[in-house]
Amino acid sequence: MADSSQVTKTKKTLRERFTGRGPMVLFGIIFGLCLAVGVGFHMQEWSSQLPASTSVYLIYSAVTAVGYGSLWLFLLRFFRHNEDSPVRTLWSLLITGVLLVAVAAVTSNFGRITTPGLELGLGFDLSTGVSLTFPTIVKMVIIAVIQIAIAFLVLHRFQSLVLVKRSKTSQRNWNLMLLLMAITSASTLMDNPGDGQNLWQDVAMVVTAVFMVVNAFRLSWIVYLPFKDKFASIGLCLTMATFLILSLGIGDLGSNRLIHGGSEYLEHYFMPLATFVGQASIFGVLYCATAFLSLLFHLPTSGDYEQRAGERATMHSLAHLVGQVFDAESLFATIASAPVEAGSADSSWLVMPDVKSGSLRHHVVSSHNISPDRIEELVDPALLVEELRAQGGPIVVREAPADHRLHVRPGDKMGSLLVVPLVARDELIGALFASKVVVRGFERDDIETISIFAAQAAVAIDNARLFEQQVEKERLSRELSIAREVQRKLLPQNPPEISGVSMAASSVSAQEVGGDYYDFVKLDDDRYGVIIGDVSGKGTSAAFYMAEMQGIFQSVSRLAATPSIFLHHANMALAQSLDRNVFISAIYGILDLKNETFDIARAGHCPAATVGINGNSRYIRTKGLGLGLDRGDFFQKTLDEEHIDLTPGDVFVLYTDGVVESRNPAGDEFGYDRLMETIDENRHEDADGIHAAVLRDLRHFMGNEEYDDDMTLVVLKWHGLPLQMLKPVSEAIEEST
Amino acid sequence: MSNFSVGFRSSGTVQILDLHGELDAHTAAELEAAIQKCQSENQVQILINGSNLLYISSAGLGVFMAYIEEVRECGGDIKIAALQPKVFNVFDLLGFPMLFDIVDSEDDAVSKFATPRAD
Repeated sequence: MADSSQVTKTKKTLRERFTGRGPMVLFGIIFGLCLAVGVGFHMQEWSSQLPASTSVYLIYSAVTAVGYGSLWLFLLRFFRHNEDSPVRTLWSLLITGVLLVAVAAVTSNFGRITTPGLELGLGFDLSTGVSLTFPTIVKMVIIAVIQIAIAFLVLHRFQSLVLVKRSKTSQRNWNLMLLLMAITSASTLMDNPGDGQNLWQDVAMVVTAVFMVVNAFRLSWIVYLPFKDKFASIGLCLTMATFLILSLGIGDLGSNRLIHGGSEYLEHYFMPLATFVGQASIFGVLYCATAFLSLLFHLPTSGDYEQRAGERATMHSLAHLVGQVFDAESLFATIASAPVEAGSADSSWLVMPDVKSGSLRHHVVSSHNISPDRIEELVDPALLVEELRAQGGPIVVREAPADHRLHVRPGDKMGSLLVVPLVARDELIGALFASKVVVRGFERDDIETISIFAAQAAVAIDNARLFEQQVEKERLSRELSIAREVQRKLLPQNPPEISGVSMAASSVSAQEVGGDYYDFVKLDDDRYGVIIGDVSGKGTSAAFYMAEMQGIFQSVSRLAATPSIFLHHANMALAQSLDRNVFISAIYGILDLKNETFDIARAGHCPAATVGINGNSRYIRTKGLGLGLDRGDFFQKTLDEEHIDLTPGDVFVLYTDGVVESRNPAGDEFGYDRLMETIDENRHEDADGIHAAVLRDLRHFMGNEEYDDDMTLVVLKWHGLPLQMLKPVSEAIEEST
Repeated sequence: MSNFSVGFRSSGTVQILDLHGELDAHTAAELEAAIQKCQSENQVQILINGSNLLYISSAGLGVFMAYIEEVRECGGDIKIAALQPKVFNVFDLLGFPMLFDIVDSEDDAVSKFATPRAD
């Protein structure tokens, strides 16, 4: 099953090579036609037994050039997407070549009579060069095509080797060589078989040879070969060179050894192609020779190269890994072990500032093949990191026992030490230490390898930190938004609706949560409590005390007959929990609907503003300490209370310091006078209207400035008790009669 | 960014801290550090000169509350002098004059250190 699928797959790839390649089919057809025309030309010569006229020969030349040009392009396309390894390339070329040569050899010996001591001609007229028999033409064409095919294959396959790690120059040199080979070949167009070279051809040949040599030294592919492949390649190059000499030959050397009369057939077939094949053969042998020698030289260093490649692979995989690890501990462990894993060190460790303990002293966060205690015995990481910071580059200690910065003695198994910096965003975040048992253990490439890894490790640590911070930030913002939601619920959603009284209240926090508090509570049928409070400071701690204040208010207010009693209880309760530097200012008022009174006490809070219907305004500034400032009896002793008989139209405004201390861009505070002015101007409005007016004036005053403090505003207005609101209208009429 | 600073002076046995700028939640730590420094040098007669103090927030007031008890236990005191009216108003609203000696001039405060507290 597996085999058959393998077969179909192979077939498919073969088919794929041809499908979708219209041009290839076209090139094939053109080549076939031109080949046929060429055969026709030679048959015409044979039948007339006279060399063709120059014009006919030129037409034949053009057709043949087009035909083999097509074959060249066909092969170019065929090998276009070839990704074979060098060994495979050489191997497949050799096999193909041997098979083709075998066919040519059989053909050349077909019908050949070998008589010892007598060398018979191949069947060409000695003077005209025209074929004497028809089989001669057939043999000539087959042998010529095979030799040309081998030459083309050699060039195509070697091209893929020459152009490993190609550059613009190497590509150009290769193309120039091919062009020069073509020109040299073309120059022999009018030569007869067996002619020597003339001067121009010599010059062209020399120039071509120069480019052959240039291309023959493009041997980058050898460097990357594993030892085994290098060994195989040596054999293949040697065989290939021998094979080329024996089949195609170099000049007169070795020619006709495998193919009887090979070059002679070729020359009679078409002179320029014979020249081209000769040049291709020379290049092939030259390239094999240089490759062979280069392989011999590279064999001994092969092991080193493979070790380097292994190191690089380890580093690469580790770098990839550290990019994914976000857990700090395992990330540190991975980084600390890397130099050892890569075979560049015997022990290694990572040194970073101790963030958890708050001190920024560098210490060992992770080590490999050595214990942190042992490290501290032998070296002072913090000292070396400081030196690293000053020096800016890696510290290389070639002989650890002789270095004054270390406490290493001979026999401590630490011969040499390397310290490379971990730098992220221009900041030294730590150092990677690597040590070897031997002295002078770190060569330049070790230092470079570990430095490169340290750079990647630094980025990974930085990423992990940013990631952690981001997670922490998101968690905090989630927590804070929950806190804000909870705190919002601690504040009344709407003031209670009480007949004869209008109320409006609002609170904004400078941060997610704040320390401002206001609330209303129904004490009994006729009495309502109202409170405003401000915890010192801002933010989360203030918010907790604010929540505590809410609990106290909701539970204690109903038990306290007067505002001062409530504040006293609140002070006692808070004394247990408030930090020494925290206090709460508050105003508590009790509104009595039946007796039409408002009792109010102030514990260190901004005084409540009150405005009567006639515009008589004042701040109710009774004596009183902030809650928490005194935790004994002094608080109660100093606390006063004010009793106010209500007159319809009386307005009371409670607020926190955020209101009066809000500043405009010029730095001026909104202040008490502006606040009172606004209330006074709007005293005929109901509570909502006054509330809106204060906020509007405040916003107008502040301009573009942001609120930088918590800000709470509570407005009460006493309208008096309308009778119809107290009792049903019918009862009221009944009563009045 | 910080527009608050503390200057140190002394007058006899009294350590005088000159406050400049705005004392709020962000700058409170500087005053704390200053008072801690006085404590560590056994200077417990601390006089705060507020003539250049432009603003104080509740967090700033908290600093005085945090240290007054300790300082008094050591037989010293924190006295506050020469506050600007607006800043004094903040102290006054919270009832600080009932807890601290807040006097008009530095000289008054220094002389008050010389005479023991009435209570």
